[in-house]
Amino acid sequence: MAKHDTPLLDELESGPWPSFVTDIKRQAEVNPDCWDILGQLELSFKDRITHWKHGGIVGVFGYGGGIVGRYSDVPKLFPGVEHFHTVRVNQPASKYYSTENLRALMKLWDKHGSGMTNMHGSTGDIILLGCRTEALEPFFWDLTHDLKQDLGGSGSNLRTPANCLGESRCEWSCYDTEEACHHLTMHYQDEIHRPAFPYKFKFKFSGCPNDCVAALARSDFAVIGNWRDDIQMDQAEVKAYVDGTTIPNGGAHRDGDWGTFDIQKEVIDLCPTECMWMEGDELKIDNSECTRCMHCINVMPKALRPGKEKGASISIGAKAPILDGAQFATLIIPFIKVTKDDEFESVIDVIEEVWDWWMTVGKNRERVGETIMRVGLPTFIKVMGLDPIPQMVKEPRSNPYVFWSEEEVPGGFERDVDAFRKKHAA
Amino acid sequence: MAMSDQEIKDAILEKALKNKKAQLYVKDFYKCGPDAKARKIKNLANELVTEAKMVFFSSGSTTMYVHADRQRSEEVN
Ligand code: SF4
Ligand code: SF4
Repeated sequence: MAKHDTPLLDELESGPWPSFVTDIKRQAEVNPDCWDILGQLELSFKDRITHWKHGGIVGVFGYGGGIVGRYSDVPKLFPGVEHFHTVRVNQPASKYYSTENLRALMKLWDKHGSGMTNMHGSTGDIILLGCRTEALEPFFWDLTHDLKQDLGGSGSNLRTPANCLGESRCEWSCYDTEEACHHLTMHYQDEIHRPAFPYKFKFKFSGCPNDCVAALARSDFAVIGNWRDDIQMDQAEVKAYVDGTTIPNGGAHRDGDWGTFDIQKEVIDLCPTECMWMEGDELKIDNSECTRCMHCINVMPKALRPGKEKGASISIGAKAPILDGAQFATLIIPFIKVTKDDEFESVIDVIEEVWDWWMTVGKNRERVGETIMRVGLPTFIKVMGLDPIPQMVKEPRSNPYVFWSEEEVPGGFERDVDAFRKKHAA
Repeated sequence: MAMSDQEIKDAILEKALKNKKAQLYVKDFYKCGPDAKARKIKNLANELVTEAKMVFFSSGSTTMYVHADRQRSEEVN
């Protein structure tokens, strides 16, 4: 039986999509505290303001990350969510789980928390929603001792590193993203669990420029697989695409009526650096001009492959819009070997060079990309001991986020920032 | 002469106790050991947390330090 009337939330169940409201109601049958999530959210919809307070001295002993304090500002009305802390658990590399592990994790969460989860948070963590303060230490003990799992990062720590599937599933991977992500997660345990920096710092690892973890837009330190030599080509396979024997894009768009494959229109004319052309029925690429966009390889995977001399590019400074708006990362290191043979020392050297500089020069609550923007890219490049190259500035950082202003939204909206800040002081 | 680790830790604790604002960023402690590297200061501040002399204060997006004696109720915000 529902504990609160939630007419506004109930509307969210009426659309064609699965609704979190239905999920919470289902969980509330098991754990009645969850009715209060719905009750409080309904009130928020009515009041048009959040009733969560966040932050505080909450966590497990010795850890300055992994747990984000959440309290209700109307605990008398909704005692079930009086404390409703979020726990971040470090996900396994590439998010490969055994069902046995998932079951054990959920059993633990049902025992100590609300049973509500968010798989996964945008950083990649397993997010467990809703734990009382006194249950945090017992949960943490069981998690680390019985499941041998650990918390992820939050606050001004190194955030939980994330990676694409890499060599485990993907033929394009130019380095072992899983090994790199796992190794650096273990290497930087202290930075993940305890604050170290002016603000948060994120690593993400993609095996090729398709960048499936969106490292370029979402991480302070993006390691994106790349190759140094020429794209590998099989001219017989190029012909097979041209004469229609092989379906382009791995068959990904075969449902649409696109007509016969036109290599000029669909590949050559779309190459962003215009470095491809046909000579008779042979495809030619001026590899020195290729910007590694992956388009031609994605369209003709049997004919074209990344080169043989593989490694990664490192781009630094992406962030979401808190100060100054969102920005993409800037290419800093065009090519670096990323290998377990040197225990990833080459990457670690770059990371620590950046940290040593940012920890000293960065202001509180300033992401490394903002520090770079403030002091200027030339200064940063000098600090890193690098020579400038055109790719560092070729594409001006673009804003990947869309915002609406009051005028653009039917009915508009009102927000009193001062009143909000007063209620939710940092 | 360079300060010892203990001297730096004492200076950090004193700053955390006397600073006008109870919540401090790790950067606010850099001056407690002017010759030490930033990562060294961070490690010493974190040792003080392990020794229960300071506690972490987290807003979710940032983490600050508070002297254990200045810790208010858990719902400090
Ligand atoms: S980023 Fe590249 S290597 Fe990684 S999964 Fe995507 S396509 Fe494959
Ligand atoms: S990867 Fe992109 S830039 Fe390079 S040749 Fe292919 S389409 Fe052109």
